[in-house]
Amino acid sequence: MEQKRGLLKSSFPVKASMVIMGTGQLLQKQWIKGILYLTCFVSYIVYLALTGVEDIIGFFTLGTVKGDAWLGIEGDDSIMMLLKGLLAFVITAFFVGIHKSNINDAHRSDIKVKQGSVLPKFSKACGIFFDKKFYIIALAVPVVGVLIFNILPIVFMILISFTNYGGDVVPPELVDWIGFDNFGKVLALSEIKDTFFKILAWNLVWALISTLVNYFGGLGLALLLNKKCVKGKAFWRAFPVLAYAVPGFITLLGFKFMFSYGGPINYYITMSGGSAIGFLDIDAGLTAKLIGILVNAWISVPTSMLLATGILSNMNKDLYDAASIDGASKWKQFTKITLPFVIFSTTPVLITSFVGNFNNFGIFYFLRGGLYNEGYFLASDTDLLINWLYNLSIDNNYYGIGAAISLIIFIITSIFSLLTYVRSGAYKKEDTYR
Amino acid sequence: MKKKKFLNGNRVDSIVTHIVLIAVCLVFLFPVLWLVLSSFSKSGSIYDIEGFFPDTLSFGSYKNLFTDTTMYDYPNWLMNTLFVAVFSSLIGTVLVILTAYTISRFEFKSRKLLMKSTLVLSMFPSFMGMTAVYLIMVNFGLINQLWSLILIYAAGAPMGYLVQKGYFDTISNTIYEAARVDGATNFRIFTRITLPLSKPIIVYTALTQFAWPWSDFILPNMLLKNKDLWTVAVGLTHLDETQFTRFAAGSVFIAVPIVILYFALSKFLVAGVSEGAVKG
Repeated sequence: MEQKRGLLKSSFPVKASMVIMGTGQLLQKQWIKGILYLTCFVSYIVYLALTGVEDIIGFFTLGTVKGDAWLGIEGDDSIMMLLKGLLAFVITAFFVGIHKSNINDAHRSDIKVKQGSVLPKFSKACGIFFDKKFYIIALAVPVVGVLIFNILPIVFMILISFTNYGGDVVPPELVDWIGFDNFGKVLALSEIKDTFFKILAWNLVWALISTLVNYFGGLGLALLLNKKCVKGKAFWRAFPVLAYAVPGFITLLGFKFMFSYGGPINYYITMSGGSAIGFLDIDAGLTAKLIGILVNAWISVPTSMLLATGILSNMNKDLYDAASIDGASKWKQFTKITLPFVIFSTTPVLITSFVGNFNNFGIFYFLRGGLYNEGYFLASDTDLLINWLYNLSIDNNYYGIGAAISLIIFIITSIFSLLTYVRSGAYKKEDTYR
Repeated sequence: MKKKKFLNGNRVDSIVTHIVLIAVCLVFLFPVLWLVLSSFSKSGSIYDIEGFFPDTLSFGSYKNLFTDTTMYDYPNWLMNTLFVAVFSSLIGTVLVILTAYTISRFEFKSRKLLMKSTLVLSMFPSFMGMTAVYLIMVNFGLINQLWSLILIYAAGAPMGYLVQKGYFDTISNTIYEAARVDGATNFRIFTRITLPLSKPIIVYTALTQFAWPWSDFILPNMLLKNKDLWTVAVGLTHLDETQFTRFAAGSVFIAVPIVILYFALSKFLVAGVSEGAVKG
């Protein structure tokens, strides 16, 4: 409100700043600031004139001239145009931000002049800004970094899912916007649809089983270590922590070697007269799934053990004493006190670990990567959606469909994440203990 | 009589507990032990090892790892990994500490928005944007560059600022206010008061920021197509069964520092894991 009134009644320098950045500051004899703002303004105009406008148009057309090496025509690179268009939008948003700050600045100076105070010199103003707005300086780099490397890729991926990019349609071919066709293909086109639903079903089963196995494995281990009769807890805990500390890819490759044809398990099988078993072969879906769940447990149980240990140590011991006096058995104490408490305080973790397992890329990439089963479109029967996504977009260049699938995974995961968010209340509680 | 029986029941319970514990610990120890002993095997192929453990031990695999580099240039992989991990750790630590401190210490307009959006953003698995990162990197010609890896690791680091923020939250506000009254600028407060007070959390951050690129596979495998640029993780996946002991030796060599690091940090571990629980 104040802003609006201020703008209507604003003085000439403020109005000048609204039209051309920096002129207001120049009129107020804030030379350096004015020149800096003016430079920003001019550079933006020059940028627009040189490539900006073209980039924004290119974002919508995605190129009109097809390249032809024979005729020596350098065609449009649709993906570059998409990225440049995106960049143009970001630069424009940035410019709008600077422009706003420019108007605000002119307005502030105006008020100061009217109050009769002297405007600070540029160097001093910089110093004041640096101190008062320290958080802006400190957060600038991290925020820009996250914008470029976390948010921009997500936006880009969303955009790609609405194009026919990939397969045969890669530059120099022209890419086009095709609306929701990719999603239609995933959910309706026979071969891809079948693969999608088969993988989705397995993916859900996998996430459920492995989450439960890891969770209760970890909880059981923590309870075992928590027993009074166990001496030297640090010693016993060292073994799971050792498993936790070994880098995941080493563990996975190690297990792959262990179950390989030349590996020790097959050695003993052949020594005792059997013939070597291809545990992870293309036709060994079921054993491979089982091995996957066990190996995943080996990797993840230590994490949930550490977590459960932390939670158990926060528990109120009086409850048990009271229960013992009332004559409750150990088992009853466990089911009526321990389990409800632990499950209650770990529900958010349970959900995030479900999401984590749902998108567990490593397990089957390392154990069975690069296999394509019959009846599946570029996937094997152990692949999770995320592995399929990798096969499609990185190994086989089906970018558009891959992006559509990742968006679908996004939606599935975000439903679970949202559940966590609502349940945890972590963000609501923040600051209460300050 | 009654007392003795009670004791007996306890003893049986204790024995069963310990048997289960030993079994569980063996399950965790065995694969690691297998890999370590295999790395000391005389022969190179997995087919030559009879059963799980080799009969005779030698340092041959380790020697090969560093001398026989024509096909598999392990020293080079190690240098690449070290380069990426050290610089990601340096830059990432600065960014995380700055983010965590600022969000913990200052009240400003977009603070809540920032916290909310990082929370929501961090719930999405980092792999989701990965193919897009790959495409962007390809289009801008940033593929096959070690420093593009460093940029991605370091830039993503501030997303995990919550543990550090929790630490800064425990530093009392009165110190800051006293310094403010004395006329210290925010920058001075940060360098003269905050940083000296937060040595443990800086060390913790630096080490965790180091451990991630040190053992990451997905990103380098996607972005480093050139054999000279491979990191250890990428290189090791290219070793087949005939190179098994080389793989074992190479794995042990890079796993040992990480394992030591985790044990050194073990008192932070529980806190870190449960913090992650809240964070999601």
